[in-house]
Amino acid sequence: MKKIALSIFLILLLLVPSFARAETGEELIQNSGSFDGKSITYQGEVIGVLTRGNYAWINIYNKGYAIGIWSRAEDAEKISSFGDYTHIGDSVSVEGEFHLACPEHGGDLDIHASSLKILSTGEKIDRMPIFSVATLSVILFTISIFVAALVKYFHKEKEKHYLLEE
Amino acid sequence: MIPALKIEDLRIIGYNLGKICYLVGGMILLPVVVALLYYEFDTIPYFLTGAAVAFILGSFLSHFLRTKSDMELKHAVTMAAIAWLLAPLLASIPIWLSNATASLLDASFESISGFTGTGLTLALDIDHLPRSINFLRHFLQFTGDGIGIIVVYLSILGRTQISSVLAYKGEAKEVGIRPSIVRTSRVIVGIAITFLIIGTILFAAAGVEEGLDLGTSIYDGLNHAMTGYATGGFSTRSQNLLFYHSSWIEIAAIVTMITGVLNFNLHYVVLGGKKREILKNIEVRLLFLFILVIGLIVSANLLFSNLYLTGESLFRKSIFHVISAQTTTGFQTIPPTHFMFFWPVLSMVLISIAMIIGGSANSTSGGIKILRIGILLKSIVREVRQALLPKSAFVRETFHNIDDTPLTDTVVKGAAVITISYLLLFSIGTLVTVAYGYGMEDSMFETSSALGNVGLSSGITSPSMPDLLKVTYMFLMWAGKIEIIAVLVLIGFIILGIRRGFER
Repeated sequence: MKKIALSIFLILLLLVPSFARAETGEELIQNSGSFDGKSITYQGEVIGVLTRGNYAWINIYNKGYAIGIWSRAEDAEKISSFGDYTHIGDSVSVEGEFHLACPEHGGDLDIHASSLKILSTGEKIDRMPIFSVATLSVILFTISIFVAALVKYFHKEKEKHYLLEE
Repeated sequence: MIPALKIEDLRIIGYNLGKICYLVGGMILLPVVVALLYYEFDTIPYFLTGAAVAFILGSFLSHFLRTKSDMELKHAVTMAAIAWLLAPLLASIPIWLSNATASLLDASFESISGFTGTGLTLALDIDHLPRSINFLRHFLQFTGDGIGIIVVYLSILGRTQISSVLAYKGEAKEVGIRPSIVRTSRVIVGIAITFLIIGTILFAAAGVEEGLDLGTSIYDGLNHAMTGYATGGFSTRSQNLLFYHSSWIEIAAIVTMITGVLNFNLHYVVLGGKKREILKNIEVRLLFLFILVIGLIVSANLLFSNLYLTGESLFRKSIFHVISAQTTTGFQTIPPTHFMFFWPVLSMVLISIAMIIGGSANSTSGGIKILRIGILLKSIVREVRQALLPKSAFVRETFHNIDDTPLTDTVVKGAAVITISYLLLFSIGTLVTVAYGYGMEDSMFETSSALGNVGLSSGITSPSMPDLLKVTYMFLMWAGKIEIIAVLVLIGFIILGIRRGFER
């Protein structure tokens, strides 16, 4: 029984690295010192890629924080969508070495990727105005222009009247 | 004895505030073009609503408070002080409606930070903001701080003397480049647009060179050129300039920050052919001296703390942030909390000092202003020399800022009053921040950033910060922009009105 329990424990221990917890952007940035120089896993949405020869900077967003990943250009080429207001970016998982102040890249906070996996591809988001909100805003804007024009007209008329009286 | 205020005083202020509302309404409408370009049709109602509120308020004020009376200095200063609050509040409407911030208070904070050219941000998710809303944030910095829309408004009215005095007291855009005030305004706008075009080209070229697509390079470039020249520091990215991991982008940023921090008068005379003025000017000399001295000490401090070990990283982290602080811009290439957790105290304090000193007078920068510090330093030298000479001797000191100006007691007193009032506000802001449990150096850093209209953050400024602290920083940004004299005139105006009422 003891042998079986020990075997299960050892198997679980071996499996630990493959189930390594992905760090959040907040943890990596707020506790940069404790991750400096260590291998980490980081997941998030791609928000931008800057290709530099055979390499590329892939900026990955995770819960309010974004980190630049220095990776091979061929990995960056796999990315099809960058997140912004009208797009959901590809979701990726990166394994690599975290640097608080990378000496190779001018002291930037970064991760040097050893592998990059695409978890899901992004898509376009259709953002159409809500009809009632759009209608109300157009009505309000038209009224405001009308009121401004009316004020201008009144002032001109008053001016004319004043000049005639003089 | 100060005479009691009249109803007419209120009418003059209200009527002109109405005109400012029209101006702000027009400003809010411009991002609609960006919304159309990027198919962000859902954001258009937010801009229409914001502009409508501004136009209706403007119509109300200019109709019911219509007057033909001339504006005096007290009206101009009071009006400007209120306008620097009213204009951002109106501009915060689209920001709030688009859910770019968590609350109306945060949207007002964002807008005041924009209009005063500060750059501290409470935006929730900058990377996913609509481009049109992001453009509005940057455009507010360019028009509010870069061009100085309120002084330009007064100039267009032809209130030559008033706008000149107000500009000096309120915005430190001491007009007087050309004899005609309208010409002066045109020159200020012309210089701003010229540097906006140059800055956009520099940022866009650097972006393309560093692997960004052309469209994004131009969009980001335009926005960063606006906030760089305005020494504002807002960015289209949550990582600020760290997003680009690029020394070329940082060089483009340095060029735009330096153009923004220099005196308008200096730009004018240099563009007119007097290139040697750059070498003789007291502000330019002191600006580069401060950057050099503070930059070297911060670099050494960071090197010995084993944070940045290569020459490149010392330049890109130390010198870059010193320039960003001294020019009161706030562009940043490290996460805000790294200042708090990893930078040594000495570096934090030195950067805070740079932020408090600020840039040139008559420029887009904030802070006490280098010219005033120069005047105070020269007056110390004068006092020492006077003490060493016989009683009958008189020491005549001058300083060179376009012309040779004698260092009179009136000039020294003016500089000292503003400096003391700044330090007083700095102490109050730091105390309030410390009272919320933040460390002393972090509190000094964040307070000097808000008061000096800089925008560098040590991580204190965030949507989760206490509301009272948000209000304190909003006050500091506003008071830092219009300077204490305008704040005191406004307070005096209110007290006088309450105590003695308004005569018909």
